[in-house]
Amino acid sequence: MGLLSILRKLKSAPDQEVRILLLGLDNAGKTTLLKQLASEDISHITPTQGFNIKSVQSQGFKLNVWDIGGQRKIRPYWRNYFENTDVLIYVIDSADRKRFEETGQELAELLDEEKLSGVPVLIFANKQDLLTAAPASEIAEGLNLHTIRDRVWQIQSCSALTGEGVQDGMNWVCKNVNAKKK
Amino acid sequence: MRLKRFLLRYFPPGIILEYEKGGELKTKAIDLLELSPTTDVDLVVEEIQKAEPLITASRTQQVKQLILRLQEKIGQQDSRQFYLFKVLRAHILPLTNVAFNKSGSSFITGSYDRTCKVWDTASGEELHTLEGHRNVVYAIQFNNPYGDKIATGSFDKTCKLWSAETGKCYHTFRGHTAEIVCLAFNPQSTLIATGSMDTTAKLWDIQSGEEALTLSGHAAEIISLSFNTTGDRLITGSFDHTVSVWEIPSGRRIHTLIGHRGEISSAQFNWDCSLIATASMDKSCKLWDSLNGKCVATLTGHEDEVLDVTFDSTGQLVATASADGTARVYSASSRKCLAKLEGHEGEISKICFNAQGNRILTASSDKTSRLWNPHTGECLQVLKGHTDEIFSCAFNYEGNTIITGSKDNTCRIWR
Repeated sequence: MGLLSILRKLKSAPDQEVRILLLGLDNAGKTTLLKQLASEDISHITPTQGFNIKSVQSQGFKLNVWDIGGQRKIRPYWRNYFENTDVLIYVIDSADRKRFEETGQELAELLDEEKLSGVPVLIFANKQDLLTAAPASEIAEGLNLHTIRDRVWQIQSCSALTGEGVQDGMNWVCKNVNAKKK
Repeated sequence: MRLKRFLLRYFPPGIILEYEKGGELKTKAIDLLELSPTTDVDLVVEEIQKAEPLITASRTQQVKQLILRLQEKIGQQDSRQFYLFKVLRAHILPLTNVAFNKSGSSFITGSYDRTCKVWDTASGEELHTLEGHRNVVYAIQFNNPYGDKIATGSFDKTCKLWSAETGKCYHTFRGHTAEIVCLAFNPQSTLIATGSMDTTAKLWDIQSGEEALTLSGHAAEIISLSFNTTGDRLITGSFDHTVSVWEIPSGRRIHTLIGHRGEISSAQFNWDCSLIATASMDKSCKLWDSLNGKCVATLTGHEDEVLDVTFDSTGQLVATASADGTARVYSASSRKCLAKLEGHEGEISKICFNAQGNRILTASSDKTSRLWNPHTGECLQVLKGHTDEIFSCAFNYEGNTIITGSKDNTCRIWR
């Protein structure tokens, strides 16, 4: 990758490129999701101390996906990456009910950010492969998603591990970025 | 005019004359860029004496001694093996760039954690944390050779000037409308030039803290800039595929180097300011005559984007680093490829010579840095240990210490 490639990905993307920001609490499954998108091996994933960037092709778009570490001490640095974001993907560990409040708060703060205003948001209710996972409808309700009125949004249940639901979510992304980019 | 004393400059080799003119103390340099251990010393002395009125017959013996000393220094062989001296768990997020001061006594690291840290090279102790930027600290420099100031350029669109000794911020330069991604002090340390994703470069007055000039004309992001040795020219490399040559301090654009068919990744002057080397995503590197702005050579061979280019300190060699995982060394005069550096298992994003010119250091996405013999292309050592890709690397002036900055949030000192 190198610093120069990072600068190139920093530019506001040309029409057929989409800049996607992948955020969420630590252990939500962002990096697994990123690797699933890029069809890479997901067996050895460690907590992200910084960021990962991958480009994937989907429906005629080049999706430049930025996966940013979610540990509490580095969350204040999420805003380093807000500039030129086309779509925000927010990942939630659906089985970690103890942290629903925390993740809801972080999401609410993101939606308040001026630099992300109007940016379409896809919420992945991840880890649906676990028996204890809350269904997407329950999470949507718990997080008061229906109160979001300043942008298009969608919640999609998925398992980054098995890949189920991931493509449906990305289809939504492509459809909605399309509207915004035109 | 009266000669007061001689100063010796090892790299690039030269003799500095300190003299008095009209009551004022002045200096001038005699560059000996082509000096080698086998050069005929008497011939060199004779030439200097012919060209330089300050060197009178009574001084020739002294000059000869100085040249012999330079030859001895140039001829020194160094087969040193580097070992990992320290891992600095410097930052809580990935590093960007690293840089030494001239003497190598301290160095700086920039990071995604919005800070720049100042380190003592000998002990690996942290001396200062420069805090205040609101986004990634990307471009960092000491005002070498003085080394008493540090400039930082950030994604927060500002540049800050700091005291290297106390860590105090002197000025915050505001005016760019996008990320600052490259910067340089002029050699006199009176100006800072910054290059930005907003397609402009700006010059800032260090004393007053005011903007001195805006250099507009590029059609895309500026990602590389550098001054020439005397400080009367600045070059800017852009994603618009061109390099501009600006006259300083007027800010007049005197040449636009047009010819590359891809984004520029780096642009550098050689020591005597006669040549400019440019690296491009079009897989080539070009050499340009800096006086007339004409392309004099296209250095080909790489199979993927050229990500960095550098001259050795005398300007005789050009080294290129590429996304194809190889580096190449070319002769600046014959433009022939002298060596191909093969071994990295990922793209090479940074390349530098030591001041002596007998070692090349490369940084790669394969998590290693490697040391090479520029003349044979032989890999002398693989510096292993980083757990993620290496973004930046540097030699100190002595050539006996290396620092590497990585995406793994650490900086490593090797010596």
